[in-house]
Amino acid sequence: MDPGRRRFLTASALAAAMGALPRFAVAAASRADTRLLIVFLRGGMDGLHVLQPVGDPAYARLRGALADAAPPQAHLDGLFAWHPALQTLSTLYAHKSLLPVVAVAPPYRDRSHFEAQDCVENGTGGPGATPSGWLNRCVGAMPGGEGLALAAVMPMILRGTGNVRTWSPPLPDAVDPILMQRLQLLYAADPLLAPAFARVDPQGGASMDMRGTAKGSRLVQMADDAGRFMAAPQGPRIAFVEDTGWDTHGNEAAILAGKLRELDDAVQAFQQAAQPVWANTAVVIVSEFGRTAAVNGTGGTDHGTGGLAFVTGGAVRGGRIGGDWPGLAPGDLNENRDLRTTTDMRGLFKGLLRDHLDLQEGVLDRVVFPGSAAVRAMDGLVHA
Amino acid sequence: MPANATAEAAANRFGLGARPGDLAAMTDPKGWLRSQLDPRAVQSPLLEGQPTSAQYQQAYYDVLAMRRQARMNAPPALPDAAGGLPAKAAKTPEVAARQKQQRQTLIADLVARQRTAVLASNAFAERLVRFWSNHFAISLDKRRAGLFAPSMEREAIRPHVFGRFGDMVLAVETHPGMLAYLDNARSIGTDSRAAQRARMRTNGNRPGLNENLAREIMELHTLGVAGGYTQQDVIELAKAITGWSLRTPREMEMQSTPFVFRPGAHEPGVRTVLGRRYVEDGESQGRAILSTLAVHPATARHVSTQLARHFVADQPPPALVDAMQRAWLASDGDLATVYRTLIDHPASWDASAVKFKTPDDFLLSAMRACALDAPAHAALSLKLLATLGQPVFEPRSPAGFGDVAADWGGPDALLKRVQSAEALAERVSLADPNRAAADALGRTLDAETATAVRRAESPRQGLALMIASPAFQWRR
Repeated sequence: MDPGRRRFLTASALAAAMGALPRFAVAAASRADTRLLIVFLRGGMDGLHVLQPVGDPAYARLRGALADAAPPQAHLDGLFAWHPALQTLSTLYAHKSLLPVVAVAPPYRDRSHFEAQDCVENGTGGPGATPSGWLNRCVGAMPGGEGLALAAVMPMILRGTGNVRTWSPPLPDAVDPILMQRLQLLYAADPLLAPAFARVDPQGGASMDMRGTAKGSRLVQMADDAGRFMAAPQGPRIAFVEDTGWDTHGNEAAILAGKLRELDDAVQAFQQAAQPVWANTAVVIVSEFGRTAAVNGTGGTDHGTGGLAFVTGGAVRGGRIGGDWPGLAPGDLNENRDLRTTTDMRGLFKGLLRDHLDLQEGVLDRVVFPGSAAVRAMDGLVHA
Repeated sequence: MPANATAEAAANRFGLGARPGDLAAMTDPKGWLRSQLDPRAVQSPLLEGQPTSAQYQQAYYDVLAMRRQARMNAPPALPDAAGGLPAKAAKTPEVAARQKQQRQTLIADLVARQRTAVLASNAFAERLVRFWSNHFAISLDKRRAGLFAPSMEREAIRPHVFGRFGDMVLAVETHPGMLAYLDNARSIGTDSRAAQRARMRTNGNRPGLNENLAREIMELHTLGVAGGYTQQDVIELAKAITGWSLRTPREMEMQSTPFVFRPGAHEPGVRTVLGRRYVEDGESQGRAILSTLAVHPATARHVSTQLARHFVADQPPPALVDAMQRAWLASDGDLATVYRTLIDHPASWDASAVKFKTPDDFLLSAMRACALDAPAHAALSLKLLATLGQPVFEPRSPAGFGDVAADWGGPDALLKRVQSAEALAERVSLADPNRAAADALGRTLDAETATAVRRAESPRQGLALMIASPAFQWRR
């Protein structure tokens, strides 16, 4: 069977499975039992190529051959259409379980990957402002909260004093338990390494039998693993998955055709692995910034500002567009170059933390996103 | 607290880790470091005869030609249902065999590089080479650029480690690896002759400017993100280096360097960067800007900070950075002068000066301590580097790999160090782990670790324990 047809069939099967869900399962049974997965696409995803504003009069002129290389197959409304690789996402949208948020970015306007990513992760008004990440502070603010990073080393967003750990596919060899025992004594005496070593799981998470069988890229495998961990009894309520390879300065159409298929497969793999908790789950997919409105000279786009986010999951009120579209006309662009930002990414996160995880606004304004009282939490992201 | 310059700090923090006998032989640690400020210190017989960039480039073009031939012989392919590009023509056995041979060549090159570091007597000089390679990172995940990673280190880094920073910048930014990695090879001035010709054609391709390399030169390689440049400065530098490109297969000869300046692609006109005008024509315009950037105070600050962070502490002492910046500016970016300032400054030897080993540091120091210097060991270390999160030449970002403890110290990473320690210890024969621990750590071997090594169930476990011990994870 050719891959296109296989993908069409799995998307149909997904639609059928979702239609079969009893209606009462859609609303979260209890806010104490909700799940949140953050997916961070590092490199600056080109939102305009993903959710294509085909109805904007300036779009075809700005995008030219890049737009022609990925003609959309499904439209969301008169303005937006889907990149053809996003069959799972468009199916979820059709079932009102996916909400795109347009023109969103962290509160940072220069165009450095590393500073913008730092800003997304530290949850403040700029880069370099805190030594801990907002998702860690979120975990710390949840009674009994626990967070998991699907990564070998702790990413900035989860660094801090909250109860978090990392996990990545283990080396095949199990560690000599005696060696481990003796090392534990030595590490206990090293003040800087003791906390990390105390949380080493010598069985590598006892996870060989936990591992799924999802085939595909690392992102797909991580999403599958994340779904499995989060669906397990006493599984973490918060998890984080990251990916790279979105910095498309050249040959963008071909690169994003592959990356978007990976993303689409990853969402599907997570949805299937997390099926038991899907109704109580929100997944938010973000990138540090969008890219230039116009194609550059090498069939790609350079660093921009306003980007695109997705929120999906059984708990999400989707099937509509979130955020305000600022337009692509010359006078509407930021510095006549890229999409203006109309939504502070912290507002998106705050809306989810308040309404999905039940955190108090005061805690969000002061602790999780310090100094953000003026940034309104987005309303109505999840079912009441 | 003032401290003496110890052999341990020289070998383990400034160098790549003590080999058996190194600490005992080192009577003058500062003198040992100073003696390596010499271009001959980074020559290695293992690296002689490795392929040049031109050879890597030619091999890549050969495969392209073979694939083109194979496609012409195959029936036409249609775009798939998801709108992706047509599937590539099936690889012929000849193409597959040639690609396998290329991969093996690249791996042999990387193995030689690992062994150079494991065997090096001048380990301070060799650490500097690795520092600069990571400063000017290119990543194997961009396949075409990755081909050049080891040859770029030999051709653009090693010759300039003890020379002027400006010369290293010029060598790197004109190297095919960097030009391919950060997309400059196809960046074309919008008012250049090439762009004017392209506009007259009607195939819809509108070649033009790509800012990627120019931005990373300013943000990462020279001024630093807080270096005071603007978006307009990035665009001006990008225009100035239009035309810096790679030879096409037709232009390539084995003797020629893959770099070529294409006057027809160069944006004509005067450029203004950081308020200074550059009226030069052609290739010399970009070179003049880079030479200015190399001795800019922001560059001296940014790169001195990174050097001090690499050798002394995650939060480098400001007095040390100040002294290095002054040395940089007074010497027009003479790197040997900057290193001498680093060696001579008391803060470099303070008891608080300590660094957490990166996976690369961890593996190299373990292999040096255990004399694991065979090609098979080097090949194993390449696999372990990937598992530990630092795949060689694959930082996946032009910023290179992180250089602070927080980047590398998570629980999962520590577990993988324990597993790696077992894998390495398994390959050591006839070792006395007590002796190995004393030789590697000297006076930084604490009593508890020494006792645990002595009480180990087996020599192998003792060695694994030493390598995995917290004492061995630090450069003190």
